[in-house]
Amino acid sequence: MYELRDVRKVFDDGSVALDGMSLTVGAGEHVAFIGPSGAGKTTLFRILNLTLRPTSGMLRLNGTDVATLSGADLRRARTSIGTIYQQHNLVGRLRVVHNVLAGNLGRWSTLTALGSLLRPRATDEAARALAQVGIPEKLYARTDELSGGQQQRVAIARVLIQDPDVVLADEPVSSVDPTLAVSIVTLLRDISNESRKTLLMNLHSVELALTYFPRILGIREGRVHFDLSPDKVSPEMLEELYAGHGDERGELAALGEGTNSFGKACRPLPGFDR
Amino acid sequence: MSAVALSRRRWSPWLIVAGLGALVGWSYHGTRVDMGALLSVEGLRQIGVYVARLFPPDLSAGALRDAAIAAVETFAISLVGSVLAACIAFPLALGATRTILYHGVLYEGQRLGRAPKALRLGVYAASKTVLAVLRTVPEIVWALIFVFVVGLGPFPGVLALGVHTGGVLGKLFGEVLEDVDPRPLEALQSTGASRLRIVLYGILPQAIPQFVSYALYRWEVNIRAAAILGLVGAGGLGQRVYVAISLFLEHQLLTLILAIYVMVTLVDALSAWLRARVL
Repeated sequence: MYELRDVRKVFDDGSVALDGMSLTVGAGEHVAFIGPSGAGKTTLFRILNLTLRPTSGMLRLNGTDVATLSGADLRRARTSIGTIYQQHNLVGRLRVVHNVLAGNLGRWSTLTALGSLLRPRATDEAARALAQVGIPEKLYARTDELSGGQQQRVAIARVLIQDPDVVLADEPVSSVDPTLAVSIVTLLRDISNESRKTLLMNLHSVELALTYFPRILGIREGRVHFDLSPDKVSPEMLEELYAGHGDERGELAALGEGTNSFGKACRPLPGFDR
Repeated sequence: MSAVALSRRRWSPWLIVAGLGALVGWSYHGTRVDMGALLSVEGLRQIGVYVARLFPPDLSAGALRDAAIAAVETFAISLVGSVLAACIAFPLALGATRTILYHGVLYEGQRLGRAPKALRLGVYAASKTVLAVLRTVPEIVWALIFVFVVGLGPFPGVLALGVHTGGVLGKLFGEVLEDVDPRPLEALQSTGASRLRIVLYGILPQAIPQFVSYALYRWEVNIRAAAILGLVGAGGLGQRVYVAISLFLEHQLLTLILAIYVMVTLVDALSAWLRARVL
């Protein structure tokens, strides 16, 4: 699916977000990315969904070097990648139906898109997607009147309409409460399983990553720190991954004591129930 | 942005106050302000005499009907002028928005070639220039020009308001367009949407309520301006005011002033009520 070799991203202000990142993700894989804030995870996801260009290095998507894509080819490649963000990625003033149908914008002509704003088309399709994420009654609600968790479900419904091969979720549960976080992560996992989509997720919470993902990538200072299955991830490795980042270490300490903020939704992990 | 602000030299606030004070003093002298003449016994008496002569307002059926017709005409000039302004402002504002043409989140995934970028910079510069010219020429000057072009009456008033306010609104619309939240745009872009579709689904839905609000506010400004434009022959109450002053019809003048007051107050209230509903 994805092949990255030595990808670097240096922003205009000189800050280095990615510093030689190499990794390969196969079709249908589920991968969680963890690491301290500022490690470059969000930049990586923007490069993976082709809205940001790496400064150097190579990124292949299904064998194609994306540096060779432009214009309509680039947009077509983007339609095969669906992205869910932390929040604020919906247009609050539009009704839910339009935000969901925006998943079609890569396929629709501009005229069709404009027509749908005046009189929504494919509403049954949108209604089905909303039913799948558990809020069928919100089809004609104004988006900014929904709660944070409901808005996140609308974002997932948009990705369902887009029907991509890869789902990228960049901190999708950082702004919702723990119970909701578990239900959104499992929803994304189940949806990806059903239609054999590749799922890549940035997670702030180590517990969720280790519980729900078969492959864990630790990212630190713009590089891959480790790339392991969850049972191989030791508390010492996590200590090292988050070294120098105070707030996240408190969470690790709780993990070491066998407690976590998600209760029974996350099983005790081998190596952590000392 | 912040780096620029920090590196910019900080001026002492006292120096700025002293500079502004000197400028006010120089202007006061240059305009030959003479408060003594205004507030002298003779000056105050003149004011009293003129105000007394205005009373009572002419409330005869003929004068009232005349004022009402002129008021409706002024209302219509301001309304049509404001709609024309919004129609002029909208396309020019799209051309005066860097984040739509060549800069920002929509251009991070793919760099523009040199020739397309130069073309877009040209469109931006041209739109900005046209807007600046439209708005720096005052509406009264536009009215004089259009009276010369299309003759006396309300039509040159409509054109003058539309062109000047078009320049003002175009600048404001452009600022609104550049200020929309870029995060939804990034999400729309990631679905493979073209930039035109991102404008339709991401930028305009965020911007249009503010467009409407600004247009309504400018309508309030335009109802006052429409009352003035008549002085140069561009229709409405102003034209009647000019005639009343010239022919020493003081009682009718007061009726017209009251008509302006009523009309401006009504439009202010209506516009405020509407603005509260769009935002």
